[in-house]
Parts: sequence; structure tokens; C-alpha cells
Amino acid sequence: MLGWEFPPLFSGGLGIATYGLVKALSPKTDIRLIIPQASANDLSNVNIIGLNQLTAQEIDLERVAFNFSFLNAKVHQLSVSISPYHYANQLIEDSQRNAFDALSTDQKSIDQINNIFSGKEVYGSNVMHKVYLFSKLSEEIAADGNFNVIHAHDWVTYPAGINIKHRTHKPLVLHVHALETDRVGGHARNEIYKVERRGMEEADKVIAVSHYTRQQIMEHYQIDEHKIEVVHNGIDPAGIVRTQHKLKDKLVVFLGRLTHQKGPQYLVETAEKVAQVYPRVKFIVAGMGDQFAPLLESSAYKKLGHHFIFAGFLSKAKVNELLALADVYFMPSVSEPFGLTALEAAQHFVPSVISSQSGAAEVMKSSLKADHWDTDKYANYIHALLRYNALHQNLSLGANHEIQHVTWEHAAEKVCGIYNQLYRN
Amino acid sequence: MPSVCFYFQVHQPFRLKPYDCFKIANDHDYEDEAKNREILDRVSKKCYLPTNHTMLNLIDKYQGDFKISYSLSGVLIEQLELYRPDVLKSFQALAETGCVEFLSETYHHSLSYLYSKEEFVRQVELHKAKIKKHFNQVPTVFRNTELIYNNDIANYISDLGYKGIICEGLDHILGYRSPNFIHYPPGNMKIKCLLKNYKLSDDIAFRFSNQGWDEWPLTAPKFANWAHQVAGNGETINLFMDYETFGEHQWPETGIFEFLQHIPGEIIKHPDFDFKTPSEVIRSYKARGEYDVNNLSSWADLERDLSAWLGNSLQHDAMERIYKLEKEVKESGDLNLINTWAKLTTSDHFYYMCTKYWNDGDVHKYFSHYNTPYDAYINYMNVLTDLEYVLEENKSEQSIKIRQLVDLVTAN
Repeated sequence: MLGWEFPPLFSGGLGIATYGLVKALSPKTDIRLIIPQASANDLSNVNIIGLNQLTAQEIDLERVAFNFSFLNAKVHQLSVSISPYHYANQLIEDSQRNAFDALSTDQKSIDQINNIFSGKEVYGSNVMHKVYLFSKLSEEIAADGNFNVIHAHDWVTYPAGINIKHRTHKPLVLHVHALETDRVGGHARNEIYKVERRGMEEADKVIAVSHYTRQQIMEHYQIDEHKIEVVHNGIDPAGIVRTQHKLKDKLVVFLGRLTHQKGPQYLVETAEKVAQVYPRVKFIVAGMGDQFAPLLESSAYKKLGHHFIFAGFLSKAKVNELLALADVYFMPSVSEPFGLTALEAAQHFVPSVISSQSGAAEVMKSSLKADHWDTDKYANYIHALLRYNALHQNLSLGANHEIQHVTWEHAAEKVCGIYNQLYRN
Repeated sequence: MPSVCFYFQVHQPFRLKPYDCFKIANDHDYEDEAKNREILDRVSKKCYLPTNHTMLNLIDKYQGDFKISYSLSGVLIEQLELYRPDVLKSFQALAETGCVEFLSETYHHSLSYLYSKEEFVRQVELHKAKIKKHFNQVPTVFRNTELIYNNDIANYISDLGYKGIICEGLDHILGYRSPNFIHYPPGNMKIKCLLKNYKLSDDIAFRFSNQGWDEWPLTAPKFANWAHQVAGNGETINLFMDYETFGEHQWPETGIFEFLQHIPGEIIKHPDFDFKTPSEVIRSYKARGEYDVNNLSSWADLERDLSAWLGNSLQHDAMERIYKLEKEVKESGDLNLINTWAKLTTSDHFYYMCTKYWNDGDVHKYFSHYNTPYDAYINYMNVLTDLEYVLEENKSEQSIKIRQLVDLVTAN
């Protein structure tokens, strides 16, 4: 198993999903998990190899030759546009740069590798270097071929998956949690797109986290539909206590990175329309991203300041507190492969108004769905949830009931079925 | 001498137009005129006109030996008046033959009996007047919306002076007994219950074109043979169904019209059999057994209960909200407003909100123009919110007028 984000290090849903699946798979199968950065965890039956803790026993560096030169030439063009989550952080730490340089020479050492895969930045502007390094190291670590299936999560691990497949001739499963076409739009044909496409072409099976994503893969990547299986993510049960807020206004919550993909422009348009028909409403925006400033500006320009609260990036605990008092959860994503947050909202008995272009829409019948651009319909739905209590209650109970069946155990069972199928062939 | 008694339900609601929150307090016109017209045109073409034509020919051919009955909802008749007077005329032509009986129901095809007796009686009276006007008949047999029924309803209808009531023949009430006899509610011999033979009715209405059914294809001789087996153990075979069975639910290609054309001849081939209308059945046969229904029942779905209209919290909420407005609406004295309000009591609006099976894309979805039951609820509630706004506006207008009047009086 090849992962990238893994608790405690994650920036989005990938880390949560990888962890959830590995945990549910671990009683059913032995897993060797290679990730950039490992720390203490509660998983038994899983052999976790973190490159930040890589030792000379696990790898013979002498056998590996690194060549970053093709990438070094591009390093200045990489920057935010190619970074999957468009992090504002463009600083390349000098020590990391030096480490990459050193690895191309005879002075390479395990310390340099440990250094590169330490630190809090999961992606960063040198992400392509990391992906390359990860692929080379993983290939070496897995060269023994002592496993039956290779399972790689998202584009950052696909090159590693391909390398291992070529080296060991084991079947390759790619797990698509998100696509470059989700992040930058259907027209994306950049380096990341190419990595994804090549990976899926080489893979024996592709797992999509939703039927929606499966459709996207077929449409934008021209992958054979018979190769793609859908396995919905799960959600871990949580003890939930609702809290009543004392505000006279109703609260609509938006959670997520403020990037184009999450549809912040539709958030503002919708808020403007809801406020017209239901003035006692506040939209709470939790999350950060490159669209923060435009969002702030357009909400101010439309004189909606008093309808918005910008909460910034919130910890998991704070998110839970927020959901516990929210009245409506709103997810207007342009393209959302799954949308775990809508399920988390349902756990907190918060009814959702969500984009039809999402995986969550498939598993939550009891949610109100509109095309991501249809702000009239969004507003009509939010208005209805704020005004009609019976609807609010019906949907919050309904969605909460539905997600009881959306478990990682269920997902793990399906994944095991795919393993068995490949193993037998 | 057993009789076959046909009753066909003919109903189309006034559907609401897409009414989002931005229309509230701005737009007080709720109907989707284009859609209502379009659906009425389609059903007229596929069912009403060709079936009426067939019925008229059959009545003509058998010279009084073939008889049928209809229940036309008031809101359907109103739409025929507005959009399809030609179809209304074809029903009138049937009425003129003397072989067609028209039953009584609530004008608005509503569940008003359950929420307001006052409104229920008003709608029944409105309907009666409409039937008299167009068909020159005064109905003596009552059918409640979707055959919603229990002992209390039967007694109430009996007190209104009706001689008969139409209801579903429920297995769990009948037990080993046959639906093919007239029954009476416990302790009340003044009213007779006509029980639907749902097996034979559904053979036509639901199973006719089902190729997976081991009796498919159903022919008129085969069906008549089943009916004839009742001889000696039954007096009336009540075949009750939606009129849209002919041509709309069962398409012409299924052979439904050929089936219909041959049914009368095949039935009366047996010398003991004839056709009767509900009131003739009631006059001809005695009530043979007690039919004791305490819980509300209907003819809908497998459950035969009220869950299609009152099965979830949304439906209850919407239903309670509309009847809560009754007093205020009626006190306004505004006939337009009362009419608008009453159309919102039509049962279809609540049927669209049914969440029971919608995952399976079944019959409920077939009959709904909404994508989801939630959309149906939201649309309805937005309309209701606007109606409340209109009432509020009227009130303040009135109070201004009264104040002006008082000022005028005191100034003098």
C-alpha cells in the first residue's frame, strides 16, 4: 500500500480516507504501508514504513541512482499552479533543496531523505521532487516482491505504484480520491494530469470513490469503464452532542479549502439570494485558500459583510463544535469526488444542501442537491431548511440514518473483493 | 343473477408551477397552466377520448345491457371546462345514454374528511352541483378520495343521505368471506358498502400488460371465465379502477382496447350475468354481511392505508398547515382565495411528497412531476407561505379600511 497523507499529517480528505481504509482492511489482510512520514499510531497488523524514519536496514541507497535534473530545470515553474492544493507557501527550504542536490551525487545519505520527508508541508512547491524520490525509494523497498497486490492512493503515489509493478509484475490498483480535473477543471492537461492518466492506463484496476468520479475518469481520462470499480468512502462513528446556539440568526456552515474547486463564488451568490428572502441568516466560512481574498472582497462589495463570519482554518475539534450548532451545511463544490464533510455534518444532525457534482450526493438521498452553478436552487433549498422545521427535521434524521450504513468496513470488504479478483487472475 | 359493476375514477389535479422562495410575496398565481393543459391534452388523446368513444359504441351495441359508472373529480371537470370542452361533451354524451352513473366525491379530491367536516361537506356539495349541472344526475352513491374508508366515514356518509359507499375489499377484514356481496357497516343497515374485487380489478389495471405474469396475455374470454366462476357464490363483481388504465397506463399496443371491446359480450354470454351501475346493485341486492373497518384504509399501494398521503412528517406538516388556514381563508369572504386554498387540499400534492418507495423509482415517481419528494414539499410550502402572506396583507388592508371608516364616522 502506497499512501501520501496519513495522520497526523494531512491537509485534506486523503489522509482521513487512507487511514480509515487501512484500519478497516488490517484485520482482513496483511499490509505493508509506505508513506512519506510516519509517526505513532494505533494500527496493528500494518507494517508502516515512513520515509522520514527510513533506516539503512530498510534500504541500500548504493543501489539507487537519483536524477532530479529533468525536474530541477522546471523547479521555478512548478510553484502554486501545479501544487495540488495551491498552497500559498512557496518557500523551498534551503536544506531540502540541498538534500535533493546531494542525492543526485555520491554524497547521498539516509539523513537527507529523512530530512526531505520531515516537516509539516505535505505537498509544497517541491512536490514533484518528492514524488520522484518517493517512487524510487518505494520501488527499492518493495523490490522483494513479498506481497500480492500494489495499492496506491492518488497521483502522488502513482509513479511509485508503476515502478513497483514493473519491477515485481504484481497487479496494480490505483485508488482515485481526487483528480486534477476536479482541482483545476475539466480542461486540465498539466503534468499531474499526465501522471494520473499514465497511472490509470498502467493500472489493473482503478478504484473511484464515487460513481461521479468514475464518470469523470471515463470522460476526461478515457479509461476503460470495465477497469473502474466504485468504492464509497466510509465514515467513523462519532459520539455527537447537539448544542443550541442562542443567536437569533440561523447558521449556514461552509467547510473546506477556499479554492476554485469548492465553489466559493457560488457561496457568495447563494448567500446574497438567501439573505434577500431570509435576512436572519449567517454564513460561517471555515477554511483557507487562495480564494479567501476574492471571497472577502466580493462579500464586502455586495454589502453582505454582516451575513458572513470567516472563521479561518479550524481544528477538527473546532469543526465539530461548529457543526454541533449549525442549522444547515452547504457544499457548493464545482467538483467533489466524495465530500466527507457532508457526511460529518449528517453525523451532527445537520441537513445538507450539496452540489450534485459530488460523491456525497450518491450516498445521502436525504440531502438537497443542485447543480453547482444553480444558486437559485441552492438558495431555495437553504431557505426551505431555515423556514420549514419539518423538512429540517426530516432530512437531518434521514441523512443521519443513511450514513450509518456508510462504513469503512463496507469499503474494506469491497476492496478485498477486488484484491481477490486480481490475485486469482 | 350476478352483476358486473364497473366504476372508473377520472381525476387530474391542478399541478403547481415551480414556485421558489423568490416568488413568495411577489407572485400569487400558483398553477402550472401549461403543464396542466399539456397533461390533460395527452391523457385526453390517449385515454379519455378513445375510451369514451369505445364505451359509447358498446352501450349502443348492447342496447342498455352494458352499464358503467364514473367518478369525475370536480378539479378534473373544471380543467375540462377550461381546456377540453370536447372531452366534457363526450362524457355528457355518455350520460345521455342512461347507462352511465356518476358517483359523488369531494370536489377537490381531498382528504378533508380527516381534517375538517365542514370543508368536507362543502366540497361534496360543490361536486354534487357540478355533476348536476353537466350530467343532470344527483349522485346517490359516494366514493371517498382514494377509497379512504372506515366505519365512521360510512356512518357519516349515511347521515348525509347516501344509499351506498364504495370501498376496498380488504383481505384482513373479509377473511374467508367474498367481496362479491353487498356489505353493511356494523349496526347501520341504511347504507350499503360496495367492495372492490381487487384481484379481478388489478388483473386489468395492473397486470394486463405484464409479460412476466403467468396469465399473460389476458383475453376477454379468459377474464369472463374467471368472472363466471363467481356464479353461485356472489352477487356483484365490483371492478373499480383508474380510467387512465385504458390507453395511458396500459398502452393501446397491449391490446387493452380490444380487451375492453370484447368484455361485455363475453360476460353476458353466461345467461345469469349482467351489468349494473352501483345504485342498481344497491337496489337489486340485499346486504349480506357486516364489514367492520376501524382503522382508516384506502385502495393505494400494498399497504392499503393512508401512508401514501400521510406517511411521513413532511406530509403531516403540510396537511396540518393547509387546514390551519381554513378559518382565516373562509372568514376573508374572498371567493377566489377560498377556491385557491381548496385546490391546495387536493390529495395529489401530498402524494408527491411520499418518501415511501421513491428510491425504487416506482409508481409514485411515475405520477409525480417533481424530481424528489423534498422538492414537492418545498414547492408546496413556498406556495402556502405566500398564501399566508396574502391573508396577512388582506387583514391589514381591511384594518386600514375599518380605521378609515371609524375616522369618517368620528369626524362627523
